[in-house]
Amino acid sequence: MDPIILGVAVVNGILLGGLYGAVALGLSLIFGVMRVINFAHGTFLMIGLFIPFWLWQLFGISPYLSVIVTAPALFALGYGIQATIIAPLFKRERAMVLEPLSVLLLTAGVGLILDNLALMAFGPNVRGVQIPFASKTLWIGETLNINYARLFAFLASVAITVALSLFLSRTDLGRSIRSTAQNRDAAALCGINVSQIYNVTFGLGCAVLGVVGCVMIPFYYVSPTVGLAFGIRSFITVVLGGIGSIPGSILGGLILGVVESVAGQFVTATSASIFSFVIFILVLFFRPTGLMGMKV
Amino acid sequence: MTAPNGPRYGLRYVAVTVVFLFFLLGPFIIRDEYYLHVLVGIFFFAYMTSAWNIVSGYTGQLSLGHSALCGIGGYVSTLLFINLGLTPWIGILVGGLAATVVGVVIGYPCFRLRGPYFALTTIAFAEILRIWVENTDEIFGIELRGAQGLLVPLKGQSPWLFQFTSKVPYYYIIVAMLLMVMAVTFWMEKSRMGFYLKAIRADQDGAEALGINSTRYLLSAMAMSSFLTALGGSFYAQYFRYINPERNMGLDLSIEFALMGIVGGQGTVLGPVLGAFLLNPAGEISRSLLGGKLMGLHLVIYGLVLVLAVMFLPKGLIQPIRQFVRRVSGRDQGVAPAAGTGGAQATAG
Amino acid sequence: MKRIPFILGLCVIVLELSGSPVLAGEKVAEVNIGVVLSLSGVAADQGLQTKTGATIAAEEINAKGGIPVLGGAKLRLLFSDSQSKPDVGASETERLIQRENVAIMMGAYQSATTTVTTEVAERYKTPWLVTGSVANIITERGFKYTFRPNNKATYDAREQFDAIKGLTQEFGKGPKTLGILVEGSDWGKSHAGIVRILAKQMGYEVVFDEAYSPGTADFSAQILKMRTRKPEALITAMYTPDHIVFNKQYQETKLELPYGLHSVGGGSEVPEFYKAVPPESVRFMFVQEDFQIDITKVAAWTQPVEQKFREMLGYDLSAYGAQGYSAVWTIYDVLQRAGSLDKEKIREAFATTNITSGPALIMGWQVIHFDKDGQNVDAHGCISQNLNGKRTTLFPLANRPKGVLPVWPIPAWKDR
Repeated sequence: MDPIILGVAVVNGILLGGLYGAVALGLSLIFGVMRVINFAHGTFLMIGLFIPFWLWQLFGISPYLSVIVTAPALFALGYGIQATIIAPLFKRERAMVLEPLSVLLLTAGVGLILDNLALMAFGPNVRGVQIPFASKTLWIGETLNINYARLFAFLASVAITVALSLFLSRTDLGRSIRSTAQNRDAAALCGINVSQIYNVTFGLGCAVLGVVGCVMIPFYYVSPTVGLAFGIRSFITVVLGGIGSIPGSILGGLILGVVESVAGQFVTATSASIFSFVIFILVLFFRPTGLMGMKV
Repeated sequence: MTAPNGPRYGLRYVAVTVVFLFFLLGPFIIRDEYYLHVLVGIFFFAYMTSAWNIVSGYTGQLSLGHSALCGIGGYVSTLLFINLGLTPWIGILVGGLAATVVGVVIGYPCFRLRGPYFALTTIAFAEILRIWVENTDEIFGIELRGAQGLLVPLKGQSPWLFQFTSKVPYYYIIVAMLLMVMAVTFWMEKSRMGFYLKAIRADQDGAEALGINSTRYLLSAMAMSSFLTALGGSFYAQYFRYINPERNMGLDLSIEFALMGIVGGQGTVLGPVLGAFLLNPAGEISRSLLGGKLMGLHLVIYGLVLVLAVMFLPKGLIQPIRQFVRRVSGRDQGVAPAAGTGGAQATAG
Repeated sequence: MKRIPFILGLCVIVLELSGSPVLAGEKVAEVNIGVVLSLSGVAADQGLQTKTGATIAAEEINAKGGIPVLGGAKLRLLFSDSQSKPDVGASETERLIQRENVAIMMGAYQSATTTVTTEVAERYKTPWLVTGSVANIITERGFKYTFRPNNKATYDAREQFDAIKGLTQEFGKGPKTLGILVEGSDWGKSHAGIVRILAKQMGYEVVFDEAYSPGTADFSAQILKMRTRKPEALITAMYTPDHIVFNKQYQETKLELPYGLHSVGGGSEVPEFYKAVPPESVRFMFVQEDFQIDITKVAAWTQPVEQKFREMLGYDLSAYGAQGYSAVWTIYDVLQRAGSLDKEKIREAFATTNITSGPALIMGWQVIHFDKDGQNVDAHGCISQNLNGKRTTLFPLANRPKGVLPVWPIPAWKDR
């Protein structure tokens, strides 16, 4: 295997992996704090891709700018859904410390509804945006080329991760979230409004998807079913990196991206995805907290 | 004092008998092939969900990879039929054994994980199997046809080869299978294994501290569930005469089982059946009424039914039905039966 | 309160009567046609287009007075959603045949679904007109009630090779090595299988041969491999989402394919694909599809159809829309010759179909007839090349507009 080719494969894997990590960030946060497997995660990503698309299609606004609208919109949506639909279920399952299974189903149902509302509203067509900046490529030598849009997406992913980490460690709200994640009842005893924290966390997880959607749409596409491909991969990323760990999410994404990219050079791409699952299982067996996760 | 629930107790038995007779004589009452087809579909899902329930309801571990077992059953019996001419009646059992082996081998390491991790791992294993089958065109000279799926050769009316031109035999077979799995569940619940599983479900560490070999009982449940699920997969193959990895080993199917089981009420004998009887027709009806008109509307309705069911029936559909039955057959005398038992009657003196 | 049972009883009687099957010779008001399509899920795109095309045709027929031989009976299309699942498609087929008394069934685009639903139809002796499904097996089972006007998978691949050979002859040079990149499920992999066999027969060396998982976000791994192995032409089978991502990256990485990118349809047949990718990324691309993409320029009668299609969906007529349109007009022809709603007579009429003119040929075919297995052996797709932003038909030569000059080999990226 040509070292240059290998190097290029690794670079591509890193770029893509950063993106996987960003997509999984929200899931990791929600999972870490609320122990909820959000089956509607892909659906929120779909919404996060549709909003910048429509803003570009109807008003010509660049997706990079529309993040100002997309992120808060998704925050509100996540907050709202958590507060009105999921919270009542939580109150009922208060005794359960482990993940309430019905919440998982609830998110699946919500995802189904939103997916098909999008289908009804926007139609089944696959759409993309065309932004001149997005097709430009950075060339290093003859073989290594990096697409600007993907590079920007990677940098944005890193930036979101850093921002989120700082938020969680430096701000009061962030600390409240972390303490709720560690021990819900103790946090409540300290006067933290747990249900409010849950709402904010869910909203935040979705808001991240809003930002990701804006930086993804220039080189990707959107359709009512776009979230499906990211669903399972996000879970793998989260487990790999460690539940509830923000930097872990990026790390997990990077590993996943590089493994897929490099494996894809040796075997066909479809078989390469088996590798991802195998790694996932191995991590779960031998290091369930993931690479950087908190103890569950 | 006479049994206070005398006449009302009899009423319950009458009701059960009526329902039983209705299903027994179903095909003679319902002549329409389409409705019969719908019933077969409902019973099929009731059966599969009940089989799933044996492990997911009673061990407290949610499996989202059961479609893989279903697929194994279907593929093994179909491959044996196509390549060796082996009658599916026997092939079905071989498929069951294969799935049992796979289920136990995978279950052994998986049961060390808890809660959501277990669920995610079952998804991962099922996906690995599905992707592998999808990408394999032949193995050891046997044609697997990967993503294109397998067609069960059309033989017309041949009972020996598990093929019938009419739906009626299929109907009776799936009803019989359902009764069998319900009986197995009921027996297991009442047996020592059921007792231990209850303890394990409530507190695995505590149960082990008391000396219960949780691995043995968990794996037994897994083995039973896998075997029965695979039988259902073979039935599917013989009824629809086509299987492919995407539909028969896919995540969608696993989620359907889980949905019906949880909405109906896991960990009970009737729960999964009720879940199938609620959700399957709901999907079918909304699709036939709305499916062709506004794209996706029928799925929105289905999702809504799901969300409402989960929000308002947290322990499953079985809960309000149990209460209703209790109220009808007795005035809530004595201690209400605990959830998880087969509706044992409590009578106070 | 006592009125209710009476009214209910009346309703039941009315419903019973309205649901009763109609046989030959009776005056009918409507002919029910069952249409099974993917109207949700990943293939909803194509399903919607087929539905639109079919609807336009039915409206035209009904506006002209319905089916004359049946006393002006109107066509009533009953659409149902297969959700892209074979067993759901089978259920819908059962329902339409048993409950809705359809005379003819059509659909379902996805080969896996169509394979199962045609069998259901066969069991109930109901004719099924295939739309869009290419899997060979559909017309290789000795069925009597399945009729496919469009290509089998084998034809698709063969046409791609015919085009390459044709261009090689025209210009005196052509590729020696090929690459194959397909989506990893049913359609893609079976296409790859056929291409491999044909490549061997015709003496091409396949230096790159891969399938990818649907939903791939990044083709850099595959493009990298192609850089090393240098296939001179690439044959692809991709659905819309992946096609968008691939073409964008093809342009960004400036991958050189001297003898072109040959797409066997899927995403490249869908109008929004072209809106979602930069024009440079699809320039000179060859597309094989069932449909003659520039037919509206050569056959003026197709223009109003496209106009209506554009009104309803917002983009130009696509292959899938044309399939729906063609199928319904074929049904018109069949019913006219059958003269009744008796399914056996309809089947006979299908088997003896010989359409050589008229709206059913909007696909660009010269004839629609069916062999003993129900296959239209004279079906063909068209190969077009994207020249100056317009997709122009090159093959078959009979369909190539006058004065069209293909570009072969295609210029290198630096020379554009």
